[in-house]
Amino acid sequence: MLEKYLSYFQYDLLASMPVVVTVLPLILIFYRQAYVDPTFKLLLFFLISKLLIDLIMFHLAAQRVNNLLFFNILIVIRYSLLSGMFYYKFESRFVKSLIFPVAVIFSVVTFWDIWYCNEDLINLHIHRIVKYALTIESLLMIFLTLLYFYEVIKSLKIPNLLTFPFFWVCSGLLLYYSSLIFISPALHYSAQWKKLIDLGLLDRIPYSFEIISLLLFSIGISFFSARYYARH
Amino acid sequence: MQDTEQMKWALLIGTLAMLMMAFFVISFVLFYQKRRFEEEKKLSEIEKNHSRLLLDTALNSEETERRRIAQDLHDDIGTMLSLTKLSLNQLGKSIGENSEKDELIMKKTQSLVEETILHVRRITRELVPTTLERFGLTEAIDEFIHKLEEGNNLTITFQPGSEELPRQGQKIELTIYRIMQELVNNAIKHANCTKIDISLEMNEEFIGLRVSDNGIGFDPEAVKDGHLAGLGLLGIESRLAIVNGSVQYSKTGNGGSTALTLIPVVSEMSNSKPEPLHPFRRERVNL
Repeated sequence: MLEKYLSYFQYDLLASMPVVVTVLPLILIFYRQAYVDPTFKLLLFFLISKLLIDLIMFHLAAQRVNNLLFFNILIVIRYSLLSGMFYYKFESRFVKSLIFPVAVIFSVVTFWDIWYCNEDLINLHIHRIVKYALTIESLLMIFLTLLYFYEVIKSLKIPNLLTFPFFWVCSGLLLYYSSLIFISPALHYSAQWKKLIDLGLLDRIPYSFEIISLLLFSIGISFFSARYYARH
Repeated sequence: MQDTEQMKWALLIGTLAMLMMAFFVISFVLFYQKRRFEEEKKLSEIEKNHSRLLLDTALNSEETERRRIAQDLHDDIGTMLSLTKLSLNQLGKSIGENSEKDELIMKKTQSLVEETILHVRRITRELVPTTLERFGLTEAIDEFIHKLEEGNNLTITFQPGSEELPRQGQKIELTIYRIMQELVNNAIKHANCTKIDISLEMNEEFIGLRVSDNGIGFDPEAVKDGHLAGLGLLGIESRLAIVNGSVQYSKTGNGGSTALTLIPVVSEMSNSKPEPLHPFRRERVNL
């Protein structure tokens, strides 16, 4: 079994690396006690669920079993938790009031998309990536991040953004979703068990930026101070 | 096949453009935020300097007005009282031989005029601390406490520090003197104390004025919150704001209170030698 894992790790190093890198921000959240902040608590939940699903997907990929169902499920979890982080950071009540309903609607749309793209849900072997949900997720997350940046500039409450943990998290999210937004519609057609279309370099870009975003999360968390948070 | 290749290129270009936009947005937010903060900082600095200037002008006006009143008292009322005393002396000589009753009234009037002259002289000196400008803080504080002790059942001690205090700028000396006056007056008026200790210390960075009393004391937190801050304490804060000083209030062990004022030492004095402040000279105080 270990041989299978190792050989898959070597076979698709870039796709396997994010699984390992996910551990870094997780450790840092515990080390810096960033979980005292509800924003980072949600990030912690996301990282834990991502690590678990990534490990399952890694295991299935090493076994040569279709794992795209987990990829699709992660979309719902990822959006719900990551957009939830913005609920605690936005000051605008209007934007806050929209976050939860949008997450519910998005989850419904994603489940519909999963059902729409996979007529035979029981047959996991022919499971495909969603057609619209990933693009909608990217759009919504980019929109939320840009809106948050606008609020930060407008309010002028953060003296130094470079030492502000959530700025790094937002930067990571913006880069990751920017790398994904154009590729996500193509993934539905390319990632098929029977007829795999090689996207070449395009396929590698989201993995690279997933690693970069996880590293940016880690930088942000390393700036977190539980004592400073308690004082404010 | 060619269509797939073209689609791949289109997606790649789109993705790279999107990533460039993301990098640009992040950099823009960083630099714009930094620039706006610097602008805000400059603006608040200008506002702070402006309010400090207003405060400075108000205090200058107050000192100028004090000097004007002192000069008027000395030049006009003082002179007239001296002349009245002289006239009364002459009148006293002429009526002294005729009636014993008239002589008594004359002596009483003379003594009242003399008392009034002394009062005018005292008020004039209180208005303009001439000793401060001629001899410095130590002597001025000494003189102030001696006068206070005369009229009150109060013990006031003064420790001028281990070394002789070098002369400071006119503004600094007057600020320390006025704050000391206010703190001592507060202790007498509100603290019901029997003993006041004043000490003056100086190091390379600060001049420290400490005024302690053994009175009923007060809550320093209430002063900080503004509940106890009357005009006197606000005046102290205002004077300190001009010279970048600070004041800390604390309770002492024996139930009284202590006020410690710290004023930064200015390396260069505005004038090499302070101009003597004297009621005879009609000039504006240049603080």
